[in-house]
This record gives sequence, C-alpha cells and structure tokens, in this order.
Amino acid sequence: MQVVETFGRYLDQWSGPHPVRARRLLRLGWEAQNLKNKYLPDKRLIPADRDLAVIMMDAMLKPLQKPESSAIVSVFTPCEMLQEVGLNPYNVEAFSCYLSGSRCERGLLQQAENAGISETLCSYHKTFLGAAGKQLLPKPRCIVYTNLTCDANLLTFRRLAQRFQVPSFAIDVPMDQTPENVAYVAQQLEQLAKFLQECTGKTIDQEALRARLRRSRRTLEKFNQFQTARADRYLPTDLVTPLYSGMTNNILLGTEQVERYVDELLRDVAKAGPARGKRIYWMHTIPFWSDAVRQALVFNEGAQIVGCELSQVCEPDFDPEKPFEAMAWRMVYHCLNGSATRRIEAGIRHARQAGADGVVWFDHWGCKHTLGSAQLAKKKFEEAGLPLLILDGDGCDRSHGGEGQTSTRLGAFLEMLEEGGTTR
Amino acid sequence: MNTTYYVCKYTPIELLAAFGARCQNLNGMPQGFDRADQIAHANICGFGKSLIESVLEGNVKELVLVNCCDTIRTVSDLLHETGKLDFLYTVDMLHTGGECSRERTVAQLKALARAYGEYKGTQFDPAAFRAAFRPAPRLREPHISVLGARMGKELFEMVQKAMPYPVENETCVHNRSVGEVLPPETDDFDTLMEWYAAELLGQIPCMRMMDNTGRKRLFNDPNLKGIIYHTVKFCDFYSFEYAAVKQNLAVPLLKIESDYTLQSSGQLLTRLEAFAESMDMTRCEGKEKKMGKGYFAGIDSGSTSTDVVILDKEGKMVNGTILPTGAGAAVGAERALEEALKDAGLQREDIDAIVTTGYGRTAISDGDKSITEITCHARGAHYLDPTVRTVIDIGGQDSKVIRLDENGNVVNFVMNDKCAAGTGRFLEMMARTMEMSLDQMSQTGLKYKEDITISSMCTVFAESEVVSLIAQNKPTDDIVHGLNKAVASKTAALAKRVGGEERYMMTGGVSKNLGLVKTLEETLGTTLVVSDRAQLCGALGAALFAKDMVQQ
Repeated sequence: MQVVETFGRYLDQWSGPHPVRARRLLRLGWEAQNLKNKYLPDKRLIPADRDLAVIMMDAMLKPLQKPESSAIVSVFTPCEMLQEVGLNPYNVEAFSCYLSGSRCERGLLQQAENAGISETLCSYHKTFLGAAGKQLLPKPRCIVYTNLTCDANLLTFRRLAQRFQVPSFAIDVPMDQTPENVAYVAQQLEQLAKFLQECTGKTIDQEALRARLRRSRRTLEKFNQFQTARADRYLPTDLVTPLYSGMTNNILLGTEQVERYVDELLRDVAKAGPARGKRIYWMHTIPFWSDAVRQALVFNEGAQIVGCELSQVCEPDFDPEKPFEAMAWRMVYHCLNGSATRRIEAGIRHARQAGADGVVWFDHWGCKHTLGSAQLAKKKFEEAGLPLLILDGDGCDRSHGGEGQTSTRLGAFLEMLEEGGTTR
Repeated sequence: MNTTYYVCKYTPIELLAAFGARCQNLNGMPQGFDRADQIAHANICGFGKSLIESVLEGNVKELVLVNCCDTIRTVSDLLHETGKLDFLYTVDMLHTGGECSRERTVAQLKALARAYGEYKGTQFDPAAFRAAFRPAPRLREPHISVLGARMGKELFEMVQKAMPYPVENETCVHNRSVGEVLPPETDDFDTLMEWYAAELLGQIPCMRMMDNTGRKRLFNDPNLKGIIYHTVKFCDFYSFEYAAVKQNLAVPLLKIESDYTLQSSGQLLTRLEAFAESMDMTRCEGKEKKMGKGYFAGIDSGSTSTDVVILDKEGKMVNGTILPTGAGAAVGAERALEEALKDAGLQREDIDAIVTTGYGRTAISDGDKSITEITCHARGAHYLDPTVRTVIDIGGQDSKVIRLDENGNVVNFVMNDKCAAGTGRFLEMMARTMEMSLDQMSQTGLKYKEDITISSMCTVFAESEVVSLIAQNKPTDDIVHGLNKAVASKTAALAKRVGGEERYMMTGGVSKNLGLVKTLEETLGTTLVVSDRAQLCGALGAALFAKDMVQQ
C-alpha cells in the first residue's frame, strides 16, 4: 500500500511542473501493475475475471502508449466505429478510477476546483479535468461523447476539446424510447462515421462494422446468460470486477477479447459451486477504494456483489445488419436513458435475474439523477420485494467518504438481510 | 383558472397560451426544503427542491417542465409519483438546433399541444397564439447583468437594491427572447409550429445546449458596467462558463452562489455590497462631517471578536482593542468601544466619526456609516504594508481572499461558501476534539514527523477522521499538521481562484496560528506578511474610512 501512496505522491508532485516526467511515471506504474495482473494475478478471482483485469489495464495503457490513436469517450459512447478506424477508447470515467486507485486524485480534483469548476461536479469528471489541466494526460486524436444518462458530459467534454484543441463530436440522445428518436440518433451516428474517417483518414468497412455489431449482440446475449446462470452459484469477487464489466459491455463492446471473456465467464459459472451468503445487486458506481465496503463484500462467502447496473446495457434486441440503427437503438433503449422509473424497473429485473437478496443504491456525490431518485428507488424496489440500502459516498473521491458511517450502514443492512427483515 | 407554471425558456408558453393557459415562471425562493427533503436527496440543486416544495405546498397544479438537466428530469419523476398535480408534462427538448432537431421539436410541440388541449378541453386558437408574442423590455442604459444559473426573485431584488446601477436578470429562463418576432400571418397549425420550433431553438443558448457559442452576446453589451455571476449549489452547468470567462472580462465580475433558499443572505449581502463599493468608491467617501477633536474610530464586529481602532488626525493608531463579541453585535460593539475609549483616555464625544464593519456592522446604531469588511480589510492591509496585493483573512465564520491595487482599492475578492471547512471554526472544533486550546494548537503542528493527509473536506467527517487517528495513537503534532494542511489547501484554492499576487498578507485571528501560517506559506510557495496588528486590520480600515468622512 505504501508503494501506491508513494507513487501517487510523485504523480501529484510532478504533474503540473514536470508533465513529461509525470506521464512517464504514470505509464511505467500502470505497466508494472499489468505485469502483476498477468503473472501474479489474484488467485481468489475466477479465471475469467483474472483475464478481465488484464483486458482493462491494457485498455487504460493504450491511450498512454499511443495517444494519437486514441479518442476520449464518455462511458456510454458506442465504440464499434472507433475500433474500425483503429482508435482506442480513452475513457474519462475509467481513467479517473485508475487515477484514484493510483492515489493521486486529491491534487487533480483540487486543480479542477481551482479553475472554477464547481465542487459538486461528479468526481470522475473533475479528476479527469484536473489531470488534463495538470498535463498528466496526453492529447488524444479526437473526442466523442454523448449526453446519454449524464448531462455533465455536455460540459466536461466540451472543455476537454478546448483544452486539447482537438475535434469533437457529440451524440444527442433524446430521453423517450421511440422509433423516431432511434432514427434521429442513427442520423447522427452516420455523421460520426464521416467525422471519424476524416479524423483518421481510414474508411469504415460496412460489412466489417456489421460483423462487429453481430459480435456486440452475441456478447450482450452471453453476458445476459451469465447473469441468469449465476443466480444459484457462488462466484467470489472484489469491488472492481463488477465495474470492469461496465466497461467491457460499453466502451470495449464489439471486440474479440470481450467476446472471449464472456465465453470464459459462461465456462466458469458452469463450474462454480452453489450460491452462498447474501447476494447484493449494486446500482450505480462502486467505491472500490473504501475499506468499509471492502470488508463487507470482498471475497466474502457471507455477502458478495452479484451484478452492477452499469454492466447491463439494454435488452440486445437490435439488428446488427443495420449498424447505425443498431447502435442508436442501444443508446435510446439503454437501461439508464429516460425516466428514473425506467431505470429502477430495469434494476429490479436485473437484481431478480442474478438472484439478489438485497440492493445497494449508491448515491455517488455529484450524480444528480441517482441522488434525486434514491427515495423513489427505495419505494419501488421494496414494493418489488427487494430490500434496498441507500448508501451515500463517492466512487472516486476519498474526501467524500464517511467510512465509519458506510461501515455501520452496510453492516446493519447485511445483518438485516440475515434476519430476513426490511429496512423500513 | 389555474396558472400553468414553467421553469425553462425553451417552454412553448405561447403555444400553451393558444390553448387558453395563463403561464407564469415559477421562481420563488422558499425558506427551506422540509417537504422536498422527504422525497428527494439533500444534495440536489436547490431549484429542483424548490419546485418540489412548491408542488407539495399545494401552490402549483399545472406544471410544464423541460428536460433541462438530470435534476429536473428526476424532479419530473418524483412529482409524477406524488400525484399532486393536475397536469404535469416534460418536454424532451433536444440539445442541438440543427435541421433534424427542428423536426423533432415540431413533433414535441404537437405532442404537448395534444396533451394540453385534451386536458383543458380547448382547441388551438391562432389569434391567442399571435397575441402571446410580446417582446420583453430590455435595459438600454449602463447597467449590471446577472448571468449564470437562474436567480430567484428575492435574491434578484436584493441585488437590485445593493447595486449602484440598474440590474438586468439574464440568467437561465430570464433571457428568453421568443416574442421579439411575430409569427407569420397564417392560421395553418403545421406552418406555425415549424416557424415556432425555429424560434424556440434560435434563442441565446443555455449551457445544456451542445453549441453554446451564442452566449458570447451576453458578455459583450457595450452598456455593461459589471457582471454578477450566479451559480446554484449542486448545479454544475454554469461553473464551466464562469471558469471559461473569469479571466477574460473587461468589466468587474462578482461570483456568488446560492442554494435557492432565503437563508444565508447575510453572507451574500456582504459580497454584493463589497462589489458595489469596489465599483463606486464614492459610497465609502463623503466628507459630510466637521472636524472636532480629531479622533476617528473603526469597529469590526465579527462572529468571534469585536475589534476597535482609534486613529488621531495624523492617521496614527492611538488604540486597538479586541474583545469577544458575546451574545449580541450591538452590545459587544458598545462594550469594545467603551473599553477602547477608556484605554485611550478619550470620551465618546472626542470621536468625530465612526465607521462600522464586519457581520454585525448594520446592527450597531453608534456608527456614522457601515462598510463591508472586504473593503475595510483591503484599506487596513494597505495602511499596514503598501506593498501587499493579496489579503488572506481567515475568520471565525468565513475565510476570504482579497486582491487589491496599489492604492488599497479592492480589485477582486472571493469568500468560502457556507461550509465551515477552511475557517477558524473548523480549527476550533478540531482543537476541541483534540482537547487542546487554540494557542496550544498554534504551536503543535510545527514539529510533525509523518505527513498525514486529512482527506475529508466535510467538518463532521474530518472530525471522525481525527478521532480515528487519535485511536491509532498518531502523534498530536502529525494530526495538527494534517489539519493545517486541510485548511491551507482550501485557502490556497481560494487564493488561486481570485488570481492572488505577491505580496500576501494574512489577517484575522487565525494569523496567530504559527503552524497554519507555515503550512500556508509552503502551500502557496511564498512568505506571508503577518503584522502584529493583523487582527485589527478590518477595524483599522474602518477607522481610515471614518477619517475620510471628516473635513480637515
């Protein structure tokens, strides 16, 4: 732990005054971590999830190794076309998580706040903005983002485009699920194809894109089968693996490695032992840094996370033969798009699918939609027979944690599930 | 007839009027959010909560929202669930203004027309539609603009009273420009809606629109004398615009933040008055008094202490007194002035003019004039050391950083928000937790060994972190240094925000805390001027203004 803290301290000290040195250190540190993931993986994880740690670290490293072949994206941006033109996703939310894991987030958050950005902005956005401001992060080829589920995107990505002076493309996703709205988004995605071709000088082969969308659909279907299969199985897990699935099913969706990963998941779940302990379905992001949450849920036969909202994108009912419509459909019908009620209903469906005993609604500081609908979610989930704990905290910024309170709330919730009660 | 309320400038109110609606912008600031907090989370924007509050109070029966932001989108769901509204509709307004968006907007308008017509049992009336287009009056003379996130009616009225120029509200819904052009002379609904969609989308964009370059207009009015930039706590949209424009404006700029309640107006009023003073220094001058014995007093009534300075006609300090404020500002001020007069061997009638400053300034009836502590601190700091350009004042209740020019006039300033983190009160609470006095704390942090970081910014959470560090047997020096770092980091952030320049002076009671001063110097990478009269700086500035009031 001391090593990571020292690493973070140097990143903090060097970013800003010595950006080249700071970037080199960041890349070196993450490459070292990737070697550890490859050769000394955490044996407590199932084999698929050991590989997943490598897939994610590779995805994080690519923008540091080849920034000119990377595009900054928001987490729900469809990336199949980027893959076709050889652009790596350089994802704001995931990068901020990894920077927080590298223990250097405080100075980056402060940098953003010093520039005038509000303290109440989501810490994933603020960490990345701070890192860009301190020149810890390299300049990308371009930026692609969407307002889907998070309106902070409209601000952060526009500012990043100005900061890096690179072209950007925004995909506007209306909130209602209608065929007209799918057509509206599909038109924009056709424009995105032109934008990406202009940015890279490469051509998107329509048949290759269709094949990629077929893979995306298969991947989501298999992940769905996995979530159903795990309902009566015990799979030991940590706090980052469920978050990683949020990345593989969004920004890395359509890649061969992610399809291989879900195939492996299906093999692992078939071999897993029967379900044990209390099973928690997690809504929104997970505070992976929190010792209190770690003690309660990591590699714990008594209680573990069995799914995370961020990994369950949509029912894979799109037609890969019409790739623009398919990607547009995925966005418009994304479980997180539209009303809070729609999001809650999807959460109830997915928690039941994974055989959850209870649900944690994580009120990530700065996520207005999640905070605002917390009470409504509690009512709806519990009406559906799923006890729900509203847990306040922050997925990325340690200064918004109240570890004592987190430990008490989560501990009491798990005890209550043991006793078969509800939180009312 | 019910009023149909709306909150966003993209709301098609002329269309609603064509179906017989009487539309009104819902913009009041409530006393608090007791009802709203029962169904929503405390940490969402105050305007969203004020909407819930109004509906739960039963004052609103018809409401047309726009999916402005994540908060309003959620509020729409919560209000729907309450079942308290007769008509609730959320327009799914797109984020772009291109051709495709216009088509989709026309569809949205027609859907709203259908829903509202069915609810009211009325038909579209082209004459009523046309009559609803009325241009809003605009200020053509020199004025101040309020920009940024929407400002509630009551706060805007406070701004109007405090400013030396007329004030235009250009925030959010208030810069709605539909109405300036009349619709085409046709009764054909489809044609009118196509034209109307373009009008709605063609307004000065708000920050939720993907292309908001059109907002530059708001900053370039030749009659603009100053800008008050307003943000609402937990609304992030406008902090981005503020961050982008704050360094590039040709007119004075004040940033204020409200939580959309009537509370906390005292702190905002101080900022507004200080801004008005910085634009119009004649407010602080005026030689309306005749010279008598030639003594002048300044009284700084703070939350913790009341300070008095008496100057003679040469501007020399003949007395400086510091007493605890106690229960009331007026009584505390009276007591401190009596004490100062006694020490100086003077009588009340020997004083030709008194200027009061600080939080309790308006509660003191003895004064001839009251001036904000920001203007007074700048003046006092300039008197103590004319090379100072940035004053850092950490008081009991708030902390502020003031930038001044070579004459001691305020160029810019910034204050902390309502939170206690980074103020003297924070250190007081932590000293209590550690069972030590503030004097002991001042010395303790100097000899630290381990560089501890207190990560929680919230005072309550920081306190529990301190308790847990004590439980881990961490040395007191290390913990106090961690606390000093937390306050220093907050203060340095304020200094950066205001564009702090050398030399820095620290004033206020916390300037006596040696450990904090040292940590702050390390954080800022410079040395701080700490005068032995630092705590009297505000009262000194007030006394200097009192001296200006008298003809010599």
